[in-house]
Amino acid sequence: MMMDRRKLGTILLVVSVVLMLVTVYLAIFFAPLPQTGVKSAGEILSSVDESRLQVAGFVSAVYDRNQSHVYDRVVFSIADFRDYQRYLQAAAANHLDQQWWTVRPIDVESRSGGLVGGQGPDIGQRIVAGANLSVNGIVASHMIAPNSNVTGFSLLSYNGDEIAFGPVGGFGLMTAPVAQKIFYFHMPSAWACYLSFGVTLVGSALFLKTRDHKYDRVAYSSAEIGIVFATIAITTGPVWAKQEWGVYWRWDDMKLVTTFVLWLVYIGYLSLRAAISEPSTKARVSAVYGILSFITVPMSFLSSRVAPLLQSSHPQVIATSSGSLSPQAGMTIGIAVIAFTALFITMLIKRVEIAEAEEELEELKRKIGEEE
Amino acid sequence: MRAALIIAAKDLKVELRSKEMLSAMFLFSLLIVLAFRFGFSNAVSSGAVGLPELASSALWICFSFAAILGMYTSFAKEKDRETLDGLLLAPVDRSELYLGKALSSLVVVFFVDLLSIAFFGLFFSFDYNGQTLAIVALALLGSVTLVLVGTLVAAISVNTRAREVLLPILLIPLIAFSVIVPSVTATKNAMAGGIGDSVQQIESVAAFAAIFAVLGYLTFDFVLEG
Repeated sequence: MMMDRRKLGTILLVVSVVLMLVTVYLAIFFAPLPQTGVKSAGEILSSVDESRLQVAGFVSAVYDRNQSHVYDRVVFSIADFRDYQRYLQAAAANHLDQQWWTVRPIDVESRSGGLVGGQGPDIGQRIVAGANLSVNGIVASHMIAPNSNVTGFSLLSYNGDEIAFGPVGGFGLMTAPVAQKIFYFHMPSAWACYLSFGVTLVGSALFLKTRDHKYDRVAYSSAEIGIVFATIAITTGPVWAKQEWGVYWRWDDMKLVTTFVLWLVYIGYLSLRAAISEPSTKARVSAVYGILSFITVPMSFLSSRVAPLLQSSHPQVIATSSGSLSPQAGMTIGIAVIAFTALFITMLIKRVEIAEAEEELEELKRKIGEEE
Repeated sequence: MRAALIIAAKDLKVELRSKEMLSAMFLFSLLIVLAFRFGFSNAVSSGAVGLPELASSALWICFSFAAILGMYTSFAKEKDRETLDGLLLAPVDRSELYLGKALSSLVVVFFVDLLSIAFFGLFFSFDYNGQTLAIVALALLGSVTLVLVGTLVAAISVNTRAREVLLPILLIPLIAFSVIVPSVTATKNAMAGGIGDSVQQIESVAAFAAIFAVLGYLTFDFVLEG
């Protein structure tokens, strides 16, 4: 059994290293850059099934990056509103601030012109309005990125009841296309950290049930590794965010702050273990906290999806209606996820071995002490 | 449930006799609101910070600190006076002990909540836009969630060295999004006269109360054995 586990660890180590290299290769040479740039309103509208739409709109954000403050000017332009009064009502229901949001009807026939805008009083309000408008939050990131003059667009459809985004806006659309490559490491680390904390939860529960210390070793080894992956996720995220959003961190983005809290909770878990010396008390008490801590995992995972927390421009990857990752990007991310999962299992096996050796050492020290 | 009530009554009776916590909590809430009064003196008089915004944030900071303090002493006192063993020897279910401790903490914490609300209104000459009752109700709901998770974490931390530092480290991240963020929003909405806008926030605090209650009820047994 011992031998098997060690062999498995070695095999998985090789697998994860190879797959990691494959991921790097695919991310650089295979996965396409996300779309960026400007399209004309007409170009976008021609891609829409107009029979299903009563109102279609074109939203974009324009920046002047030479302003002293990168967010000093944001202009939304809206084109082809056949019924812009109804749109305004819907926008108001979504808590858009009309103070700085103005819309003017344009020439529908020529599908040109469009426009208009205003100035947001502060960055926070602008983001909230964007997030509300975009419903799932993705578009907000286009609206605030400072990298180009016209930073992005997304199609808005309004069928009389609800505002929804059409096929144009979506995951593949970014203002900083090269920075998006970090996603192939960011998202798998986030997955590996959720997985690790899940293993901590299961290990803690099994320990309380069986009182077998091997489960406790798995639980805290997994928590330590989870913190490493969480650290990778919350440091690679800002590297991308600086390029895409123009800021490293946003305290009003629920995905970011709930993940930060998740990280803090598991740091707390390790501090708790460090503060108890008696081994069985340590295992028992930290198992309870290990179970309790897990509530932060769904909080972080669901924070860009679930209602009371829904205030996030963090892109959603899994299970969105417009899951528009290209097949190549999807394959790359799939391999990256397998690589990180294999790496996690390898590290877990090694960490548990170390924990066993440590406990054996303690035991031997205790015996020597008794003999003397 | 009867045992829980008896334990809570015991805690409160001890408290009423010594009045140790009550006087300390009175001073605590007085001083923390005063700290806000001094700290935000300029910001409030210049209008940089609106009173409803300040009130909703400051009050929940008071409530959370009061809860941490209250729950810490609830177990630390038993441990220091070596009455915890006696309590554990009593022929009652540990889950009842959890509920009893949570209940007595709730009384203490809610008492501080009321004091803080009163002191804040007094020192800032603020009438909560006539929504005091709604704010008290939100404070009660939030405190229920706070004590349900706090009692469990306090019992965890009482096993450790440096327990007074560890309790906030373990508790604050857990209550940040389960209680503080939604409650602050709900309180602010309530002061704007629209407590109905905060249905989601209230539901979320209540849902966390239920989750913590179930977790506490199931796992409290393990925390205090041995």
